[in-house]
Amino acid sequence: MAELLALESVWAGYGDAVVLEDISFSLEVGGSLALLGRNGMGKTTLLATLMGATQLKSGRMSFDGRDLAVVTSHRRAGLGLGWVPQERDIFPSLTVEENLTVVARSGSWNLERTYEMFPRLAERKGNMGNQLSGGEQQMLALARALMLNPKLLLLDEPLEGLAPLIVQDLLRIIGRMVAAGDMAIILVEQHAHQILPLTRQALVLERGRVVYGGDSDSLRDDRSQLDKWLGVGTH
Amino acid sequence: MKSIDIIHSEHRALASVLQALRFVVGEIGAGRLQPDFRLLSSMVDYITQVPDKVHHPKEDDHLFPALRARSTAAAGLIDALEAQHAEGYRMTVGLLQALVHYQAMGDKAFANFEATVLEYLAFSWKHLNMEEGELLPLARKNLTADDWTAIDAAFAANFDPCAGAQGEFEVLFGCIVSMTPAPYGLGTAR
Repeated sequence: MAELLALESVWAGYGDAVVLEDISFSLEVGGSLALLGRNGMGKTTLLATLMGATQLKSGRMSFDGRDLAVVTSHRRAGLGLGWVPQERDIFPSLTVEENLTVVARSGSWNLERTYEMFPRLAERKGNMGNQLSGGEQQMLALARALMLNPKLLLLDEPLEGLAPLIVQDLLRIIGRMVAAGDMAIILVEQHAHQILPLTRQALVLERGRVVYGGDSDSLRDDRSQLDKWLGVGTH
Repeated sequence: MKSIDIIHSEHRALASVLQALRFVVGEIGAGRLQPDFRLLSSMVDYITQVPDKVHHPKEDDHLFPALRARSTAAAGLIDALEAQHAEGYRMTVGLLQALVHYQAMGDKAFANFEATVLEYLAFSWKHLNMEEGELLPLARKNLTADDWTAIDAAFAANFDPCAGAQGEFEVLFGCIVSMTPAPYGLGTAR
């Protein structure tokens, strides 16, 4: 499979502060990567760096054969980078359907296919964004990113703050998105045990540096390292 | 050891429905929710069918025999867990009867239904904790790489903890998620 994203010795941060140090990894077309680490280890900063929202100090980032460093942040979505931030950022005064269609780009993910993946949104398509529950808002944020038909989808803690029943439902949906292979996915989560079964690759950050980069299966079998890097709750 | 991840995942899926059932029954008891018998029967159906048809056979047919063969110290625990599997099924029958009675009799049968639910939940949490806290650590300690390879192969056909190997419970799980009121589910908060 062809390479989609490659980072080579990337150093990045905010202003004078360096958060990410010497980050290198690659992801193939349709690939999936679990980005793991405790709070404050640089996971969200890494996604923000891919989207151009931080200062790249040194290193090289290429996406779909292009040097990302020369692409301004507002044009990266057009290249095929889709970002679902923790804040969800849905439009409260638009309906569910308007939230989806306002960002739509041509591709295999259209309204019909998106509603098929998220039947609850089809039921609520006439409701305003601010009339949705937290779980429905997260589904809308995910569905909206799909409507962009990205080549790479960045999901920043999509399960955070949701009830276990909704978490289980979203895990199944994300699993189907990964299995479909239409797009590559980088999934940030603190609960490694929930997402390692879904992804092929994993990257663990500690204080802004990569301490593990490899396949997800090997990592989930290595309980001592999981406990060391990610702490309790990893089984 | 993918099979252990599958067991953990199935425990989490089941626990999410148990937790939602606790929430719904608590809200009805507090007068903040009218009983939705389609939701309640979906939940009872799920916690009856999925453990019995999807989850317990993996343990009863593969994990328990392998661990028995490797650890005599585990025998008592496995005996207790096997007995709990049978008892759990018997209790779900009682739960279903209590639900039918509640639906037929109305509010005056709620206290009995609630008590039956709480008894079942306490039993289930105890069982899940025994498996998570005692069984799986013993299995990790005693089973060999070859044991895990065989168990992983037996489990390989099933990797959807909510919906079963062929997705036979997908619609049921989806109904529970969409009918359970927010914030525990996607249903309308009342």
